[in-house]
Amino acid sequence: MLEVLFIGLSLGSILLLVALGLAITYGAMGVINMAHGEMVMVGAYVTVLSGIYLHTNIFVAIPLAFIVTALLGLLIERVVVRRLYGRLLDTLLATWGIAILIQQAVRLEFGLSFFGIHIQGLGPGLQNVSVPEVLQGTFTIAGADLNRYRAFIILVTVILSLLTWFIVYRTTMGTQVRAIIRNPKMAAACGIDVTRVNALTFALGSGLAGVAGVMMSGFKTVFPDMGTPMVVDGFLVVVMGGVGSLLGSVFSAGILGEINGLVAAATNDILARAVVFGVVIAIIVLKPKGLFALKGR
Amino acid sequence: MLAFSHVDSFYDRSHILHDVCLDVPEGKVTAVVGRNGTGKTTLLKTLMGLTDRMDGEIRLDEADLGRQPTFRRARSGIAYVPQGREIIPDFTIRENILMGSFARTDGKREIPPLVAELFPYLIQNLDRNGGVLSGGQQQQLAIARALAAEPKIILLDEPNEGIQPSIVEEIEHVIIRLNREVGLTVILVEQNVTFVRQAAHRFAMMEKGRVVASGEIEDLSDALVHRHMAV
Repeated sequence: MLEVLFIGLSLGSILLLVALGLAITYGAMGVINMAHGEMVMVGAYVTVLSGIYLHTNIFVAIPLAFIVTALLGLLIERVVVRRLYGRLLDTLLATWGIAILIQQAVRLEFGLSFFGIHIQGLGPGLQNVSVPEVLQGTFTIAGADLNRYRAFIILVTVILSLLTWFIVYRTTMGTQVRAIIRNPKMAAACGIDVTRVNALTFALGSGLAGVAGVMMSGFKTVFPDMGTPMVVDGFLVVVMGGVGSLLGSVFSAGILGEINGLVAAATNDILARAVVFGVVIAIIVLKPKGLFALKGR
Repeated sequence: MLAFSHVDSFYDRSHILHDVCLDVPEGKVTAVVGRNGTGKTTLLKTLMGLTDRMDGEIRLDEADLGRQPTFRRARSGIAYVPQGREIIPDFTIRENILMGSFARTDGKREIPPLVAELFPYLIQNLDRNGGVLSGGQQQQLAIARALAAEPKIILLDEPNEGIQPSIVEEIEHVIIRLNREVGLTVILVEQNVTFVRQAAHRFAMMEKGRVVASGEIEDLSDALVHRHMAV
């Protein structure tokens, strides 16, 4: 039983890793970022490429992926998203387009494959990341064999969640972000540079997705389309938890992860997925604003 | 000090302000009066850059405010107390007040002594949520937030609307003190002509998005009030 709960917890952690970034970008900026899954994918590829070219392991890839995806997020915000604030559906379409662009850029090796040049680690194929030895195998607690890598995922998620909580609730920028979530016009009228804070928020959200990608690369194959289902999962968590509420995302990721783990252990993965969707639908019907709704917008 | 010249303002395709010209002298209270829906609130929002688009020019001293984003206008010394107060219900009173301090140019984040002096109740309850306050207290909180910016100009949009009568007098008193003792320039949107005559030095009468009369407060005659404000 402990093993099953543990697997559920690790599934929830992955959901939360993906959702953390969305929780702040969607909550703070009202942007449906369809390219969020691609940030996860880019993070995973950073792990693959840094392994091939820098001969570094997954621990080094975490900060590296954060920086790369945060900068990519900053670029996307500057070039596209910034022009579309307040136009929810337009942001959805535009970021979807960006998502496709990024996917194809990786698949076509930034277009070089047309010229017969190939970059090892990119392209349409599947990539694998080998996990360092310390994270392989299992350890035993109370008679249950627990997978080390899953424990590592849970640990990283806890650290990143605490870090995000600290940034949002204990720093000046976080206060500004929360003010923007609740009342963007009044925030601006109080002297908050909404454009700048939004850009940084978007970068932070993208960076978190990048780290999620690193974690993902350790137990799933890495390929250009891997981000697409992630963004769906991420939105499930955010919408169920309540837009703009970090605590809500933490709870809903935990609940969905455990449901997924329990049902999958009792039956199979496909049924588990169906049950997860069913639960989310039921919660949205009963509490349209999510479990921890803000009173704001 | 502050001058609107030929300002037009729009929400989407609705043209709300038409060719507004108005001078706001330093250290005075300028009252903006008129019936509901004549553009008084839009005038303040245009000044803060919160409408969708404007034409014309707004100058603060030498600076051209009209082209600047909202937060720069706030940082150049204009604090806004909106209609409906717009405090943040799930922020504490302290967080609500300190929100105003983001407009300070010296980067300090503190509650100015003036706020403690004017609103002792808020200072005694800094850790309670803004949302639990009564309407009048929320109005005080919104004024405190504006003062935390250490502004030169404070914009007050119907500060007495929807507030229990016991606090109305208190807030009127605060507004007069802010001008006479602290020396703040005030733009006051107000329907209560008695209070306007008591507090303001100058007035601007609005009708259908235009300024139809303006001048010294002595010129705000009963006939003018009757013509433009009687319902």
